[in-house]
Amino acid sequence: MLLGDEKAVERCLQGDDAAWEAVVNSYGKRIYNLSYRYTCRRDEAEDLTQEIFIRVYQNLKSFRAESGSFQSWIMKVGRNLIIDHFRRTRRYQQAAGTEEMENMNLKDDKVPSPQRIAEQAEASKFLMAGLQALPPELKEAVILRDLEGMSYMEIAELIGIPEGTVKSRINRARLELAKLLSKRRTQAGMQV
Amino acid sequence: MECGFVEERLSEYVERSLPHETMVGMAEHLQECPLCSRLMEEMRFIFVTCKAFPTMELDTALLDRILLRTSGRPRTRSLRERLRSYFLRPVLTPRFATGVGLTLLFAALVVNLLAPRASVLATALSPRELLGRMDRGVQQIYSEGLRLYTSKNELQEQFTLYKNNLLGKLGIMIEQLDVPMEGKKKATEPKQPEKSPKQKSSVLLLRA
Repeated sequence: MLLGDEKAVERCLQGDDAAWEAVVNSYGKRIYNLSYRYTCRRDEAEDLTQEIFIRVYQNLKSFRAESGSFQSWIMKVGRNLIIDHFRRTRRYQQAAGTEEMENMNLKDDKVPSPQRIAEQAEASKFLMAGLQALPPELKEAVILRDLEGMSYMEIAELIGIPEGTVKSRINRARLELAKLLSKRRTQAGMQV
Repeated sequence: MECGFVEERLSEYVERSLPHETMVGMAEHLQECPLCSRLMEEMRFIFVTCKAFPTMELDTALLDRILLRTSGRPRTRSLRERLRSYFLRPVLTPRFATGVGLTLLFAALVVNLLAPRASVLATALSPRELLGRMDRGVQQIYSEGLRLYTSKNELQEQFTLYKNNLLGKLGIMIEQLDVPMEGKKKATEPKQPEKSPKQKSSVLLLRA
């Protein structure tokens, strides 16, 4: 899809619904996961995903291929909406989606054992709880770098800050998170 | 090497993006400092957990909603999805499953109830048995008809016999009554003109 993004956008602008469907299919999962990692709630993530795609559809004309890739553009639109949503709701949840976390579909090529799934779910829950306790800008850094797997440059482009700042923010975020997890682990009596 | 210096570069150390000398120096420090070592272990845990972090699958209903609210065109469904929605989805419902379950239970009960009588029922419904029963029925009806016919003939004969007897007796009685009356009239009374047939006595009429 990446190579054909610009063509797909052109076709969308010409009213080709099939091209738009291809765009939604291509980026839907990523946007949904991004929303979920910010909100930790499935229903909110679904609403946000829907809002993001409506915004993207309405603003397709403003996409300029010279300014960057469609992927960066759609991620930027998504991120802005998610931040808006946070500001609107003014809620930085402390509780991670504990029940939902256990019901999540695990994407793994090798089918893991039930014990491994339970361990992973427990670790993910622990991590999400730690993430929720971080300041928004640090949380965002970890989500984009470690969960979304974006490069420093992509993050810098997306957030609109220098790459060095991104690096230091990510380091701070990881340190904060490591300290938080260490503290929580000590309280919970868990081992690394 | 101080803890602050290590903390500042811990993230890059875990990512192995530092120069070789710095990596070696930090490794030495981490072996000596339990606090920094603990932090590094936590950071590794974060990396590993993030790598294995589950990916949420996008619900097709959400895709449908997005498309309907944007382009207004429903999602293109694959053949498998279409088959599933047209045939399997109506079938794979709790209501249908309950219905099938109850039907099977009912069928099992019926079979259990009828199983001992099944052989008897099968024999009774076999073509030979059915034909035999029909044959016996026809024979019974025929013999009953014959019996009734014989009875009718007997009754008819008896009736004829009685009728003849009665008529014979009546004839004799009329003869006995009519003869003296005619003889008396001839002797005493002048000859009367002949009566019309209407004026004849009932006895005569009877004789005729």
